[in-house]
Amino acid sequence: MTTATLEKEAKKTREKTVGKSIEKHDDTGKILGRLMIYMVGGESRPKFIVALILRILALSALISIPFLTGQGINVLSSATGSSAELKRWIVPALIAGGVYLGLSFLSDRMFSKLATQALYKLQTHLFSHIQTLSLTFFDRQPIGELLSRLTNDTEVISLFYESAVTQIIRALVQIVLTFIVMVIIDWRLTIAALIIVPLMLFLMVVVERISTPAFAKLQEELGTLSGFQEETISGIKVIISNRRQDWTIEKNKEYAVSVFDVGSKAFFTSLLQYPMTTTLIYIQIVLVLITGAILVIEGQTTLGTVIAFSGYAALLSKPLSNIANLTSTALNGLAGGRRVFSIIDEEPAVKDVPGAADYEFKGGHIICKDVDFSYVPGRKILRQNTFDVQAGEMIGICGPTGAGKSTLINILTRYYDIDSGSIIIDGQDLTKLTQESLRKKIGVVLQEAFLFTDTVMNNLKYAREGATDEECIEAAKEANAHDFIVNLPQGYDTMLTARGANLSQGQRQMITIARAMVAQPKIMILDEATSNVDTRTEKLIQEGLYKLMKGKTSFSIAHRLATIRSSSRIMVLNGGVIVEMGSHDELMAKKGFYYTLYMSQFKGKAPAGSEASTAEFVST
Amino acid sequence: MIKSMRRMYGIYHRYRARLVLSQVLVLIAAIATIGVASLNQQLVNQGIEAGDMSVVLRTGFKMFLLALVSGVALAGTAYISVFFSQGIGYVIRTLIYEKLQSFSFANFDRFPPSEIMVRLNADVLNVQNAMLYTTMLALYAPFMLLVTLVITIIKTPQLVWLLLLIIVAVLGFMAVLVPKIFRAYEERQERLDNLNNTMQENLTGVRVVKAFTREDYEVERFSKRANDLRHPAYDAAWRVAFLTPILTGVAQIGIALAIWFGGEHVLGGSLDIGQLVAFTQYLSLIVAPLAIFAIVIPFILRGDTSAKRILQIYEEEPFVLDREEAQPLNPEEVKGRIVFENVTFAFRRPDGKLDPPVLRNINLTIEPGEQVGFLGATGAGKSALINLIPRFYDVTEGRITIDGIDVRDIPQDNLREIVGIALQEAVLFKGDIRFNIKFGAPDVDDDVMFEAAKAADAYGFVENIPMKWDAPVAQRGQNFSGGQRQRLSIARTLTTQPKILIFDDSTSALDASTEGRVQGAIPAFSKNVTTLFVAQRISAVIDLDKIVLMEHGEIVAMGTHEELLEGNALYQEIYESQLGKGITAGLDLEVAK
Repeated sequence: MTTATLEKEAKKTREKTVGKSIEKHDDTGKILGRLMIYMVGGESRPKFIVALILRILALSALISIPFLTGQGINVLSSATGSSAELKRWIVPALIAGGVYLGLSFLSDRMFSKLATQALYKLQTHLFSHIQTLSLTFFDRQPIGELLSRLTNDTEVISLFYESAVTQIIRALVQIVLTFIVMVIIDWRLTIAALIIVPLMLFLMVVVERISTPAFAKLQEELGTLSGFQEETISGIKVIISNRRQDWTIEKNKEYAVSVFDVGSKAFFTSLLQYPMTTTLIYIQIVLVLITGAILVIEGQTTLGTVIAFSGYAALLSKPLSNIANLTSTALNGLAGGRRVFSIIDEEPAVKDVPGAADYEFKGGHIICKDVDFSYVPGRKILRQNTFDVQAGEMIGICGPTGAGKSTLINILTRYYDIDSGSIIIDGQDLTKLTQESLRKKIGVVLQEAFLFTDTVMNNLKYAREGATDEECIEAAKEANAHDFIVNLPQGYDTMLTARGANLSQGQRQMITIARAMVAQPKIMILDEATSNVDTRTEKLIQEGLYKLMKGKTSFSIAHRLATIRSSSRIMVLNGGVIVEMGSHDELMAKKGFYYTLYMSQFKGKAPAGSEASTAEFVST
Repeated sequence: MIKSMRRMYGIYHRYRARLVLSQVLVLIAAIATIGVASLNQQLVNQGIEAGDMSVVLRTGFKMFLLALVSGVALAGTAYISVFFSQGIGYVIRTLIYEKLQSFSFANFDRFPPSEIMVRLNADVLNVQNAMLYTTMLALYAPFMLLVTLVITIIKTPQLVWLLLLIIVAVLGFMAVLVPKIFRAYEERQERLDNLNNTMQENLTGVRVVKAFTREDYEVERFSKRANDLRHPAYDAAWRVAFLTPILTGVAQIGIALAIWFGGEHVLGGSLDIGQLVAFTQYLSLIVAPLAIFAIVIPFILRGDTSAKRILQIYEEEPFVLDREEAQPLNPEEVKGRIVFENVTFAFRRPDGKLDPPVLRNINLTIEPGEQVGFLGATGAGKSALINLIPRFYDVTEGRITIDGIDVRDIPQDNLREIVGIALQEAVLFKGDIRFNIKFGAPDVDDDVMFEAAKAADAYGFVENIPMKWDAPVAQRGQNFSGGQRQRLSIARTLTTQPKILIFDDSTSALDASTEGRVQGAIPAFSKNVTTLFVAQRISAVIDLDKIVLMEHGEIVAMGTHEELLEGNALYQEIYESQLGKGITAGLDLEVAK
């Protein structure tokens, strides 16, 4: 009984793995096809065909040369050879050489153009598709990881197009043509030339089998080493203050030794390929010469043919070793293609429903009813959130880490769709509106003041297509950013370095506030920054935020007392549930959760120590 | 030229014999290869033309042997070259790293970690490549040429001009193509970086893109940069692809020309056919090594630039050094009285000149066991001040004493045993939690670690992790939140049980109540230990023995919270701003991520 079950299980597993390997195999063909479409599909097809024909012609010219020069040698070795007769063979050979160079030049350029175009098409296709994806996709992995995967994948694909495809095509054509000519001229010499090819291929495969995994291992070891070095060098202050330099030096040595060992193996095996193939090609030529010599002596062939064949042997073997070298490039490209296509095939999680209407702003009255939300199925972040926000109300949101504050913002902007319940905005169901129309009306200021590497002006203009310089400057003035912007080296045309690093954090916040103003939103959603800025800047930021929210329905995750105080109501979240909602004074008087949060920062040194006066102190 | 690469080879003087052997092998390979070709003459003349089968077989066997010899010799060279190139990698990686460990903070201001990493990664690879190619290939082509030239001059002087023509042709084509390829690659890399940066910004700023619905604009921008990439990529790609046809074509044309012009001599009787065939073989043999030679040169030049950058680090001297007369103190006997006497401090610029001072005329006495807070805005000089105590930097003027002894008279290692510091950026290392907490004191009992963790408010959350103290820590501690990292980092500092404890804004990611708990628990754990807290938030220093208020590199006021609140306008302003009507530091118990 049990054995039978076990057998069944085993069989199922086997079937599964067999099924998988077949699937994988099918998939490789499909990936190859999909990658090639970018290079040979659509308008590229005629160009590809022309390039291919040019290639075939060029290689035909090349392959005629050894035959022609061989005939030249025959002229020399015959007793009656004349200069004119020699010229009859050599001049065409020289012309063929010229034709080969000229046509190769043209076809190499065409193939390379097609290859770089293919990469461009794939890159833009991939990028455009990523733009349609929802945040669920971006949450799945750290952005850094996604980025390094994408850059790595496109790099291996670029090698696939630029070297693997182009060179494999050339090598294949050359092998086929050479082989045909050899068989036509002399089948016995062909055998002599080919007899060593299996050995050559075998050795190349062996080298490849050893060196490819060795290089993969080397990458891994190098990754470990440089990971360790990066970690300890960026954390050098900790090392120094803990006096652990000796330990890190030893550890580093250990990793460096592993890199040395693995690196030596990887490089040596892969470098063996060169002496191996050249030696084998010499041996191949020797075999042709000896066989040929015997045949010549027996009067079955001519010296010219033998010499021509020694040329053909090389013309056959070099592309073969070329292909062997390019296999891993091609396979890497396919693996990269598989990953890239898995992204291209990804459906956006938040989509406009068919017939979605544009959002029509009618004051900004928002009703949430029984809203549940989870990022991962089964782990609810928001539970039964119900609230009704009147047009023009300023809502402050607070609560401990993980209470769901940011999540609430994510669903109001429809970065994510809710699990159940409903969000009605000005009488319209949020899920039945187009994302674009909604986001054009809802302004967002995020906690992290993210700016693009561009000029200040372009960063401001980013908020709305067609915004004018005047509008942007006006917004900057409103947000109190104008004064420091004009003092920057090139004023509004100053380039901001990566992520705005040459501005202080407070200044970056002010620019993001100005940017939000340029968008002219009707409803505001803010995730205030927690950063410590000096008191003067703090005041300027507060003013900007206040102007941004004035007269609009707004939600802000509040870290600032000023925001809290001027809020119409404060929503206190805990564990995904709204536990309290009311004005600051109401909540303080209630002495509930909010009150505890608020008092904790004074460490018992609250002014005058009494709760009543604290409330008073804040509301003055 | 290539001075720095020569110095890299200098590191290897012990292995000079091996280097010489490798070049002998290269020479053998070159001779054997040419030997195979020159045997053609014998094969054709005495074998085929004479119809002597035994000569054919004998010559064939010789050719076969020579081919093997050249293969084995090249393989031997490859082996030695790999030894040198991987070896130099090992040497640089360990020597430079060791050097880095002797650096002080000021050295790292000159060489930021990102720059050091470039030198340890890309530059090392460049030097390795250069080493590999010079050892294995730099002399291969010249040797081949030399041997060929000698044979040609002796055997077929009529055709020397053709040999030279082919050499010039190959080198000429290479001179036209190779520099363009390298330049195109460089440009391609630059534009690729641009493109990747665009992608990175787009991905990191995805919420901003979506918030302003600028997806179309992003696609347009990306397409433009992807298009920019196309041109250099194309410029490089077709030239690289065209290299093979050029070499094959030149060799074939050379052979045809040899048969034509050499043929005239054969017909005229001044040359025999075997010599001609051998000559055609030389021609096809030298083309590839010549091409490789041309390709290798840029790699060697690049390696030299990298070697220079690596040597810069190697030659850098640490700024903080132990004085010869420095005497270690017995940590057990240190009381922990710290005195700043007229201390002025300025950072040194890369050119060696001093920046304007960040600390001016600091006079301050901290009594043993006192708890002192340092408060002030960013750039007020708080961190600079406390960095001087464990000699992360040395004072520019004045002096700092511990129990009356100038810190510069204490060996660094000993000093840092006495002074423990928890930094703002709580860096953890790959390993497990136990390893990280005991990082500064690997030999202490677990009990000390437990107590330290309790004081740092880390005990609870570690106990809640399934693997507890053996739980893995990812690189830089990325698998822990900012608040958790800070608490582990505080525990790490406490575990070393120093006599002077410094917290450099190291509770910034903790919410007010946790911060309060930690600060409350520290005195109990570290009895009679002088403790300094640097903070930006008033709530972090509100209940300490003494608060030192700093602004623009100077101490503006000192006293308890109550005293300062009463008598100091700046303190009042900060208080108003943070706890009055500005930032509510702990309002949402937010722990920075």
